[in-house]
This record gives sequence, structure tokens and C-alpha cells, in this order.
Amino acid sequence: MLSALLLIPLVGALLLLVWPGDPESQRWRWATLALLGLQLFWSLAVLLRFDPAIGGAQLLEVAPWVGTLGLEYRLGVDGLSLPLVLINGVLSFVAVAVTAADTSRPRLYHALLLLISGAVNGAFLAQNTLLFFLFYELELIPLWLLIAIWGGRNRAYAATKFLIFTALSGMLILGAFFGLALATGSADFSFNPLLAQDVGLGVQLLLLGALLVGFGIKIPLVPFHTWLPDAHTEASTPVSVLLAGVLLKLGTYGLLRFCLGLFPEAWGVMAPWLAGWAALSVLFGSLAAIQQQDMKRMVAYSSVGHMGYVLLAAAAATPVSLQGALFQMISHGLISALLFLLVGVVYSATGTRDMNVLRGLLNPQRGLPLTGSLMVVGVMASAGIPGMAGFVAEFLVFRGSLVAFPLQTLLCMVGSGLTAVYFLLLVNRAFFGRLDTPPTTQQVVLPSIPLGHQIPAMALAVAILAIGLLPQGLGSLMERSSFALTLPPRVIAASLDSAISSATTTPAIRLEQG
Amino acid sequence: MTVFCTLAGGGAPAITALQLNAGAIAPESAVLVALLACLLVDLAGEEAASRWVPPICYGGLGTALVLLALQWNAPLEPSFLGSFLADNLAIAFRGVVAASTLLSLLISWRYVERSGTPVGEYAAILLAATLGAMFLCGATDLVSIFISLETLSVSSYLLSGYMKRDARSGEAALKYLLVGSAAAAVFLYGASLLYGLTGGETSLEAVGVALQTSATPVTALALVFVLATVAFKIAAVPFHQWTPDVYEGSPTPVVAFLSVGSKAAGFALALRLLVGCFESFDAQWKVLFTVLAVLSMTLGNVVALAQTSMKRMLAYSSIGQAGFVMIGLVCGTEDGYAAMVLYMAAYLFMNLGAFACIILFSLRTGSDRISDYAGLYQKDPLITLGLSLCLLSLGGIPPMLGFFGKIYLFFAGWADQQYLLVVVGLITSVVSIYYYISVIKMMVVKEPQEASDVVKAYPEISWSLTGMQPLRAALVGCVLVTAIGGILSNPLFTWANSAVAGTPMLQHAIAASESAVAALG
Repeated sequence: MLSALLLIPLVGALLLLVWPGDPESQRWRWATLALLGLQLFWSLAVLLRFDPAIGGAQLLEVAPWVGTLGLEYRLGVDGLSLPLVLINGVLSFVAVAVTAADTSRPRLYHALLLLISGAVNGAFLAQNTLLFFLFYELELIPLWLLIAIWGGRNRAYAATKFLIFTALSGMLILGAFFGLALATGSADFSFNPLLAQDVGLGVQLLLLGALLVGFGIKIPLVPFHTWLPDAHTEASTPVSVLLAGVLLKLGTYGLLRFCLGLFPEAWGVMAPWLAGWAALSVLFGSLAAIQQQDMKRMVAYSSVGHMGYVLLAAAAATPVSLQGALFQMISHGLISALLFLLVGVVYSATGTRDMNVLRGLLNPQRGLPLTGSLMVVGVMASAGIPGMAGFVAEFLVFRGSLVAFPLQTLLCMVGSGLTAVYFLLLVNRAFFGRLDTPPTTQQVVLPSIPLGHQIPAMALAVAILAIGLLPQGLGSLMERSSFALTLPPRVIAASLDSAISSATTTPAIRLEQG
Repeated sequence: MTVFCTLAGGGAPAITALQLNAGAIAPESAVLVALLACLLVDLAGEEAASRWVPPICYGGLGTALVLLALQWNAPLEPSFLGSFLADNLAIAFRGVVAASTLLSLLISWRYVERSGTPVGEYAAILLAATLGAMFLCGATDLVSIFISLETLSVSSYLLSGYMKRDARSGEAALKYLLVGSAAAAVFLYGASLLYGLTGGETSLEAVGVALQTSATPVTALALVFVLATVAFKIAAVPFHQWTPDVYEGSPTPVVAFLSVGSKAAGFALALRLLVGCFESFDAQWKVLFTVLAVLSMTLGNVVALAQTSMKRMLAYSSIGQAGFVMIGLVCGTEDGYAAMVLYMAAYLFMNLGAFACIILFSLRTGSDRISDYAGLYQKDPLITLGLSLCLLSLGGIPPMLGFFGKIYLFFAGWADQQYLLVVVGLITSVVSIYYYISVIKMMVVKEPQEASDVVKAYPEISWSLTGMQPLRAALVGCVLVTAIGGILSNPLFTWANSAVAGTPMLQHAIAASESAVAALG
């Protein structure tokens, strides 16, 4: 069942590459849309088979691969990975749907998109750390090519920067996985939080640190974020959609699944610092976004800020905050995808993303009224206006984290307020006002965007509203898994309790507690 | 072969109590027969040679590979009075050597033909080098080691100077000869010290026993000398200086052989000498090799960044790759040795695949500069795809074969707590990805208008000339194994593990190191 989620895009990509035919034909696009449609349909089928009442991974598929290495083909899905698989299905489809018809080298382009989609599915579904690493690395080269070939003017620099950062993060992650799996002497790469218990706390902290930097590069967290604005600015719109919507989630997924899931004890020790790091990341991202003149760079920096909430929620690790972290991942995926789509529309209509130049795009006759309206929706969602997906996510994150880390949470809330500031700046400068202000003397008439091209953006906006108004469905899907992740800190609390009580009670009672 | 068998079975016991067991070198005999046949055919004239030499070589090397497969896991008996041993390790490395010659020959016909040098002679010298390398993998006696080492080296000097009209080829041969002779002299001196220590024995077993009881400064000197020879053969930093110049000047197919076949023989020699003999100096040579490995990985990969010539870049990358393999050697665990064998086998396919591509490119354009590859995807998709996949595999990107090989090396290193080596390996892997990727960037990312002049004037693709079909077969074969071999790599892992399991020398070393750990614990 789950293997099909890998086979459809990966085999599809290979077929696309070797299938005879004119490489410039439009057929490749339709074939890719069909394949991704099938993949999306299949992930919905998985959703139907999924039982939210089960806490652990389900629909397991296991096959031996390389026994010597401890590498096992082991797929499974739980409440943490299923929503991410779904959003990958949706956004991959959207990315192909919004790809310009005159894209050069369509065969290679679409094959690479399919490869990324399959690799991301594999990373979310893998139940073996080495298998996860394999898929994590698999996505690297296709994305590098997508930026390097179809990017903007400075694409070579941005693509290489992305490559180096991500390759480095991969090596850190591999080192940490080796450290954990081989600490016990046997090669056990399964997702087992008990593994870390045999390792001393110092080593645990070291391995967790490596993982945090590794995933921190991918998420990205300040100060490892510098590749992201460059990559986003140079990447084409569909690639930006995938990058922000799906690929950054690999980082936060890794944060929850591996950092929190595999090193609960060390996590408990580091949590206050991590929350502080989150606050720093949020404030830095928001303040940097205020400064930007380029719309796309602004949205990119908003990603840096918004991904910080996930770290805050993970650091708190209360049931509510983890639920919020999952909501934040989904809602950020949808909202940033929407924002990048709209920025792409503006760029293709006006030829610029500079907010010093753009004025009055909301003009109903000659401007981009529908795009503008959708932008207002996206901006409101991102700023956390009630009734939208962003509100639910941020509310849960702050509500859950406030009990654990009041100061850090308050700082993050300030960052959330700053979101409203920079996005208001964006809307105010680019969309409000008069379309043809001096020094332009003649009347500006922007090309009207066909309604058909706006469907993906409208669909995303509807999804954002739907999650904001009816969060229960998604919530119940993820509840058990986020609850399962919170257990480890409770174990620590229990052990702390018993340690305290051991001072007063007899050993027999301690045994009972244990 | 039957002659040898009757000699071994019937004649030997009658003469002496020691066995000859000549059947062990049956694969080498097949190569030798092919070599002689090539020389004979060469006498019949240029035309007959170019027609008959290729099938003779395929026949000889193919037979050798089949015979090697038949020897796998056979009961072990030392042959030639204890100077040759066909254990699984030797068989695995001889297989890698023979396969690398076969592939190098497949990609060299057109190249040799075009340079106007005699084909028969070329094949004969390459087969002689193969013979030396194969004997080296199984040699267990100081004399036979030296003879096979020299057979390999002298043939390699000849090969690297084979393009007589090219001044760079002459320069490469001279440099290789001078440095190589010095290395041989150093080895002889080390061997003579060992000979003296044993009191007049040359077999490695006797040397190992003698070394266990004598920890004198002379022994340390012998270790250093032997180590220098090994390091020279596998081109470990700082014994690597010959590599870039020799690789750049030599004919490209020869470089392909030198970088895989000759290196595999060097690693087999390293295992025989260091693991088999210098067991009592375990800690010392491991420290030295750790330093060599760190230097090789760092320098090889960092200097490769700055290269503009494809062959030079691959030369430095091969230095770095040898550094990765040394991780397995230093571990000295079952996984470490198996990872070495596995990585050499993987390296065979990915490196020769890359060489097949750059030979094809230089045949079509006459260029070797990395910048001349710009925009190639439009004109030649096969080279672009093949070279990209092989380079990605060398860089250790999944799901290529090289990824699994490299992971296994790091895995073995980490399990043996060689943290420094693994961390350096991980970091230099990122560096290596960068320069492999920049070649791919040239080929795939550059738009038609940015293409180099060479690519703009790219000739029509044709496979009709003599020697092009074998080149294509070798290219496609290597690329397929590199691309698919990783996903289906489990049999390869089993093979590498059984190569270690079927080698008493390695088993003994593993048991010794395990008992040492147990004693410590």
C-alpha cells in the first residue's frame, strides 16, 4: 500500500526520462500531472485506511535490504507523517500545475519534480533511520538541478550554496545516526527511543547537538538559514512552493521524529535553550523580513520566523504544543505555498518583485484584483488572524508552550505580532495606493490573469480557511502521534519524581512506582 | 591447465613432500596464454593484430574470471612451496584486477588505434601488468612479492609512455620510472632487513613469527620501508606526488587501469604485509595509516577542487578515494575488511565508467578540459548521463553503488571507534560532492548558448568505427552496474563478507584484535 507512494513518482520519473519522444513536447507535463494525481489519490486512499486510534506506525511494509548495514526497507505511517505525505501530494501537484507552459527542457524538469516528490514521501514514511537518510540525500541533487537550471539570474550561486549546506546537514545527520545505532555495539537503525538509554548523557547531548545542527540547517534556524533566502529568490515559483511547503518540513519532521523522539532525556536537558533558540530564530526572521524590499525574500524570511514556532513547541513538548507544532507545519506549508504562488503571479505580470516599484496592484480594472485579494487572505492567515489555519497553529503552539517556557513564548508572540507588521507593509506598498503614481506618466495596464491559472491558489486559500474553521479533522488524525511523542518527557518527569521521592520513601515503594 | 594439474597431482609428491599446487594459478595461466597469443598474432602484421587481439584478450581474461569463480571457497593449500596462496581475499582482488583490465581493454581499442601505435603490443603489455598485479594479490613470499611488484611496475612504466609522440606521455613515463624505481629500492631494502630478522627465510609466515619476538629499531625501520612501498602503490599522501603528472600524461585507458587494477593490487599487498606480517606492530602501523588516510582524504579532495583538467581531477579524486578505503584497513574488523573489498569492487565500476565517458569525449573532441564539457547534454546525452551517474556514485549520492560502499566504510569505521577518520571522511565527502557536481553542472546546467566551442563543433555521433562498439558496451555496462547495483547490493555485501570469512589470515587478525579488546575490557 505505502510502497505505491514511492513507486508511482520514482518509477514515473525514470519512465519519463527514458520514454522516447520529443523532449520539448507538452506531453511530459500532462503525464506528470496524471502521475501526481494518481499519487495524491493514493495518499487519500491511505488516509481512508489509516486508523487514528493507533498510536504507533501502521500499514507497515517490511522487506530486508542490506542486512550487514542494518538497512531495512521498512515503511509505516503515523499521525505525524500522514498529514505531511498528504501535503506533499497536494503541493507537488500544485507545483506542476502552476509550471509555465513554456518551461525549457520539460522532460527533465518534470522527471526531477517527480523524483523529489517520491524521495520526500520515502523520507516521511521510512521507519529506519538509514532509510530516512537515503531518501533525505536522494532529494538533494534533483532540487539542486531545479534551482541551477530553471532559476533566476544568480542561480548558480544560490544552487551551490543550497547544495553545500544540505550536504553538510546530511553528513551531520548520518554521523549522529551512526553514533546512536552503533553505541550499543549492534547495528540497530530502528526508531527506538530506548536506544539512547544505553548511552551516557554527555554522548546523547553530543549526538543530539549534531542532529539539531543538521536539521537546523534544513528547517532553517538562525544562524544556519542563510541559504534559504538565496535559494528562494533564485528558484522558480513551483520550486519555491515545493521548497517552502514540503522540503523544509523534512527538517521539522526530523526535529520531532529523531531529535525529540530518539533522545528524550537529552532533549529534556536542552529544552530551555532550545526554546530560547526558537525565540531568537522567530525574532530574527521577522525583523529581517521587515527590512526586505524583494517580496519573495520577505516571504522567505517569514519562513525562517514561522519555522521557529515548531522548535518552540517541540522544546515545550506538551501534548497541546506538539499538536500545535504539527498544525504549524501543515498550515505553514499551505500558507507559504500560497504566498509564493501569488508572488510568482505578480512577478510574471509586472516583471519585478521590488516593493519600492510596485504600487496599487489591487486596482480592479487594470491591476490584479483576484491575486491581490488572495494575497490579503494569505497574509492574514500567516499573521494568525482567527478563522484561518495560521491562527489555530499559533494558538496551540503558544497555549501549549506558555506553561513550560513563559518568557520564550512571549518573545515568540512578539515575533508573531511582527508578522502582521511586515505583511501589512507588503500589502500596503504593493497592493494599495494608485497603480500609476509618478514618475510613471502613462497608464499602466497589467495583463489579466486567466481564471484557470488562479485555481491552484484559490484551492489553497480554501484549504487554509477550511483548516482554520474546522481543525478537528486534522487534529484527530494527529492526536495520538503527538501524544506518543510527549510521553518521553513524562518518563523523565516520572523518573525525577521517583528520584525525589526516593529520598523519603522506602525502596519497595520506588519499585512499585517504576 | 591440464598440464599444471597433472604436475600438481602426480609429479609433485614424488619429487618432494612440499606441494606445488599449480592449479591455484590457473587464472594467471589463462592470462599468460592470452599474452603470448597476442605477441604471436602481432608478428602477423598490423591488420591481423587489430582483428584477432581483442577476441584473444576477451577469451583469456574471461577464462581467468571463470576460473577465479571456480576457485571461490575451494579448500586452501599453499602453492609453489608456500609462495602463493589463493584464499578468498586473493581471489576477490584478482577478480577486480582482471575485470579492470578487461574493461580498460574494451575502452582502449579505439584510443590505441587512433594514436597509431601497435595494438598487439599494447594489449600484451597491459596483460603483463595484469599478470603482475594478479600474482601480487596472492603472493605470500618476499621474493614472489618483489617479482610480481616489478612485473606490474615495469609494465606500467611502459604503458604510461606508450604514446611515444606525445611529450607529456614521455614525461609521465620518466617520472613514474624514477619514483617507482626508488620505491622498489626502498622495498628491497625493507625486505632485506626482514630477511635478516628471520635468519634466512622469505615466506611471510616466517617473517610474521620472527617479528613477534624482535621489537628492535631495525624492525621499525623495516616497517617504515614496507609501508612506504604500499603507500606509493596506492598513492597515499604524501607518497602521491607522481600520481597527477602520471595520470595527466599517460594514455587515458592506461590511467583507468592504474587507478583501479594497480590500486587494488596495492591494497591486497597492504593487507598481506601489514595484517599478515606486522601483526605485532598493529598499533604502530595503524597510527601511521590513520595519518596517511586523513592526509589522503583531505589533500586529495581539496586539491581536486582546483583542477581544470578532467584527468587530473580524477587523479586527485582517486587519491581521496584511496583515503576512504584506508578507513577499512585501519579498522581491522570483519566489517572493515569486507568494506574494503566491497568498495574496491564498486570503485571498479564507477571509476571505469567515468573513464569510459571521458575517453569517448576526448575521442570525439580531442579535449580533456572540464570547461569544454559545457552544454554537452544537448549533443551527447549518453556521455552526460553516464558521467553524471558515475560521478554521483563516486561522491556517494544515493541510490548509487558508491553510496552503499561509502556508507559501509563509514559504518565499519564508526563501529571500530575510528571517529577521527569517519568525521574527516564525512567532511571531505561534502568537498568531493562539490567538485563532482561542478562537472555535472558544466554538462547539464549550461544552456546551449553557453556551450563551449568544442561542444558547439561536436561531431555527429557514430558508433561504426572499429573499437567504438566495445567502448559503448563497457560504458553502458559500468553505468548500469553503478546505477542499479546499489539498489540490488545485498549479494555484493554477502560476497564481500564471504571474501573475508574465507581468508584465514584475516580471520586470525580479527580474532587477535577481538581477544585484545576482550582482555582490555
